[in-house]
Amino acid sequence: MERILPSGLRARLAGIVLAAAACAGLVLAAAAPARAEYGDVVINNHSDAAGVRPVVFPHWFHRVRFRCKVCHSDLGFKFQAGGNDINMVKIIDGQFCGACHNGAVAWSIENCDLCHSGKPGTPTQVHESTIQKLVGTPPPTASALPGAKR
Amino acid sequence: MRDLLAIVTCVAIVALPAAALDKGAGKATYEKTCALCHGPGLAGAPKYGNKAEWAPRLKAGTAKLYTSALKGTANGMPGKGGNLSLSDDEVKAAVDHLLASVGGASPPAAAAKAASAAPAAVVAAPAPKVASAAPVAVVAAPPPVAPPTAPRTAPAAPVATASADPNAFNRLLTAPGKRNPSPAEDGIHDPSNPGTHALQPPLTALAGMPPLNAGNRVNWVSSLEGGKIRPRWDRDDGAAAAVVMDLNIVREVKGSMPDVVYPHKQHTEWLDCSNCHPQIFIPQKGANQISMASIMLGQKCGVCHGKVAFPVSECRLCHSKKKEGTMPAAAVAGARK
Repeated sequence: MERILPSGLRARLAGIVLAAAACAGLVLAAAAPARAEYGDVVINNHSDAAGVRPVVFPHWFHRVRFRCKVCHSDLGFKFQAGGNDINMVKIIDGQFCGACHNGAVAWSIENCDLCHSGKPGTPTQVHESTIQKLVGTPPPTASALPGAKR
Repeated sequence: MRDLLAIVTCVAIVALPAAALDKGAGKATYEKTCALCHGPGLAGAPKYGNKAEWAPRLKAGTAKLYTSALKGTANGMPGKGGNLSLSDDEVKAAVDHLLASVGGASPPAAAAKAASAAPAAVVAAPAPKVASAAPVAVVAAPPPVAPPTAPRTAPAAPVATASADPNAFNRLLTAPGKRNPSPAEDGIHDPSNPGTHALQPPLTALAGMPPLNAGNRVNWVSSLEGGKIRPRWDRDDGAAAAVVMDLNIVREVKGSMPDVVYPHKQHTEWLDCSNCHPQIFIPQKGANQISMASIMLGQKCGVCHGKVAFPVSECRLCHSKKKEGTMPAAAVAGARK
């Protein structure tokens, strides 16, 4: 867009484009190059603020190994990206991810970068969800902007 | 007259049958299809009548612009502006109308006028025109093409080039080679993170599972039924078996769509009753209002379908029971129960 339009028009046009995208769900998709797996959840409740990469939770990987019920019933994960107040203390305590990621069932927490593997500043989202296609990807968080410290 | 006109423009521009259409048709097509984006300049589309925006594109030549309009561009313009019912000639006439607004090329009608007014010019016309950036303009002699007074800093080349991939304009489609990329290439994972490269690429896990044309591109339900995957029902006990309930719920729907058959069986293979009842669905016939709008906004079935279970694009996986009386008897008999 920068290439084609003078800067004066850009802000106004961006507004129009956003509105059109919200209706049609087409235009904004062009601005979302990410093509991760359907159902990949990015969780960035605390990561950016804590100076670590956001977590990418691959649904497909876990679905191959466990039925939905194990996490969403037995472990108490709500059906909402970012809706579970997970932190490292709880995980170490065996709650949420920590029920398996304890070195017994799956890798334990010292392998930080296997879970905290997202691009810095990626907002919490269910990648490729219908809502994301209709409404658009949430804007990047502050730390994704140029010049932000990691 | 029509033949004469065709000769003029065919000589001027390679393959321009658009000449057969009058100015009004081009204008109508423009207003119906093109103006949506080229009017306000949506999504980077060069605006109608804006010479500065069109100047770099005109340099590529009118024939190139026709190609862009017909085939679409890498910048996001869909082929024929997304209206595939248009004929090539109609599209070209609309391009002529659009270009006339920036003085780039005259509409064919103007060319016709010029030709009829001065038929002698036609004879002499061909030679100098071929290589011109906007050849027809020479025939009709409107004001000459405005030089790019405010040239863009970026190269103009990609603007007019048609995409090599004929489906590139359709951003809802993913080419087979671009599905299931490895974590380092998926746009979500950070490739500079060492751990990213240790993660399992999706294809190594999903290969061999029955395909589906959406979601993870695999049919999870068939995979489970066919034993391609054996996900645990219990975190610790690998032998625990799912508590399956086999009960189909038929939901009659409005309109001509087939009715929905909700199979408890396939759901209870994966989920516990308490995952859905009573929070999402009240376990009582007729107690749940469900619409496609709410599903697409992540409610009811949309809590999972459209996020992790197959998305709403797969209409017939849910809308699977043909309405009786709307189809020939043979088709009804063949429909799934």
